[in-house]
Amino acid sequence: MAVSARLAEVEKTYMVGSIEVPAIRGISMEIESGDFLALAGPSGSGKTTLLNLLGVLDTPTVGNIEIGGQSTGGMSPKTLADFRNTHLGFIFQTFNLIPVLTAHENVEFPLHLKGITDRVERSQKVEEILEDVGLAGLSDRRPNELSGGQQQRVAVARALIKEPTLVLADEPTANLDSATAEEIMDLMKEMNKKKGTTFVFSTHDPLVMKHARRLVLLRDGRVESDGPGEGNGRGT
Amino acid sequence: MAHEIVPGTIGWLTTFRLGIRNLARHRRRTWITATTVAIAILLLQMSFSILTGLEQQSYDNLINYQTAHAKIYADGYFADRDEYPLEPNLSEIGDLQATVTSVTGIAATTPRLVFFAQISNGVDQIPCQGVGIDVEGSDDDVFRLPATIVEGSYLTESDEGMLLGSGLAKLFSVSAGDWLTILCQTVNGAYEAIDLPITGIVGSGNPLIDRNTLMIPLTVAQDLLDMEAAVTELAVRFSAGSRESATLSRLTSALESEDGLEVKGWRALEENFMALVKMKRTGNAIMLGIFALMAVVGITNTILMATYERTREIGMLMAMGMRRQGIRKLFLTEGALCGLLGSALGTAVAFVLIYWINIKGWNITAMYGDMDVGYPVKDIIYLSLDLLTMAVIGFSTGVLAGLAALYPAVRASRLDAAEALRHV
Repeated sequence: MAVSARLAEVEKTYMVGSIEVPAIRGISMEIESGDFLALAGPSGSGKTTLLNLLGVLDTPTVGNIEIGGQSTGGMSPKTLADFRNTHLGFIFQTFNLIPVLTAHENVEFPLHLKGITDRVERSQKVEEILEDVGLAGLSDRRPNELSGGQQQRVAVARALIKEPTLVLADEPTANLDSATAEEIMDLMKEMNKKKGTTFVFSTHDPLVMKHARRLVLLRDGRVESDGPGEGNGRGT
Repeated sequence: MAHEIVPGTIGWLTTFRLGIRNLARHRRRTWITATTVAIAILLLQMSFSILTGLEQQSYDNLINYQTAHAKIYADGYFADRDEYPLEPNLSEIGDLQATVTSVTGIAATTPRLVFFAQISNGVDQIPCQGVGIDVEGSDDDVFRLPATIVEGSYLTESDEGMLLGSGLAKLFSVSAGDWLTILCQTVNGAYEAIDLPITGIVGSGNPLIDRNTLMIPLTVAQDLLDMEAAVTELAVRFSAGSRESATLSRLTSALESEDGLEVKGWRALEENFMALVKMKRTGNAIMLGIFALMAVVGITNTILMATYERTREIGMLMAMGMRRQGIRKLFLTEGALCGLLGSALGTAVAFVLIYWINIKGWNITAMYGDMDVGYPVKDIIYLSLDLLTMAVIGFSTGVLAGLAALYPAVRASRLDAAEALRHV
């Protein structure tokens, strides 16, 4: 199985004033292509930090991270931005859609960033993926005209439209009621199955853990356990 | 054809669309900022127009009523002109006039006899400047006095009368038809006096003329001062459309062979006023700078607030792969749009006001009365209406206001993506 991301002895230490606060203490792991992985653990265990490192939004203090076979160490801010643009998709707890753009335009935005200038091509891709996430007919609505679940569907579509190597979702169900959260997890699983995209979640939501095929439990910045999740075998 | 987009940025059309929608989303804030910019630009346009108008009106008042475009004196007169000497003078004016009028760009010449006078109503006596003018001949070819008569009529050669500045008339509480006595010293040093009726009152808008000058026919002045046919100066008007500096050079060259003459352009004649104008321009530039600063601060403040409010959005854009350059472009565009909106509003209102005042004039008597405003103008001022200048001021200040977004835009682009995403 191809490896989507590889972490080697990754450490991350923050400075709070003059005090060193270790957030990640030597994590090594591989994330296989097509994985549906949940990073779980209590608050302060390092889930979000690890997700930020995987998303090259932050750089490790020690160790190396490879994504799609490419080492992310020593990249300039511009190269990192381009790397995120090409390889990574993000889904956030608070959806983080651009409020002045419609659902269609929000989903289309990463294609602009990718430099796709053909409007017809962009539009076709957007309409296809909006249909995939169940938002056909709602493409002209702005985020404030959509429910939380619909907004998160737009966010999923936005993350997937550029066909990234890895989709990182930070507590994607935290702002949703359980029924909607279940729908969103089903949607992501369906996308994972249909497109083969690798998903990594940070969560402490049992629902997400239930759906994950692989569950990595973190505690105090270390991997406490790494094994199959409850969703193993259900999504594939 | 599709246009080139740098990956990690967005095209201009999308940037504009985002900018306009973000401004529309925070409508109240946008209007407040645009109004601040508009007020600053309105003040800037009005101030610039008033100052340019005052300068132009001052120059017109000087040229039309006082200095003409140039004056020719007997050598040595100019240095002592404040003493109103009657010597050295120009005695053979006919040949000189012929030489001068043959120069390209010269429209007309007229001789004048300027002298020191005391004017009296028998009770009070006030020093002033007397001017003998060639009434029937050429004075109104060079100067524009006939149009300034506010009471009575202009002189005729047969008149034994005087034109009196409106300020002097007010001081003596006299009007056309009343008599005053002019006292002076002849070229030989003898004291002379003449009683003359006031033919007309002059209200030129030039304080030196209105408050300090009386005019009598040249022949009367020459008789009074024992000057025979001599005059103290030959005033010269240039043709409309001729280039001032080139015409003055040609005139100076033409008279080089003539001994005992000196030529002075109106700017040299009024060098003190020109120095004052230069000084005022510096002061005014500071004031205009303050107005421009108002616009800049308004935009900086608004875009700073926008970047703060949208910190998480900036983090999300960075996470999606937008480069710092792209973030800067977004906020700079927003600032520029807001600046140009304010600029367009301010310039539109300024145009209406300036257009109206340019036609109707602005009566400053109520504000200043007889006080000196620092320019040789009074009563009614006219603003300068120059559409190109207005467009340049409006556009450049709008762009400047837009550039005021540079600091917040750069600040936003340097945010740490992970921290920005955590922003609450």
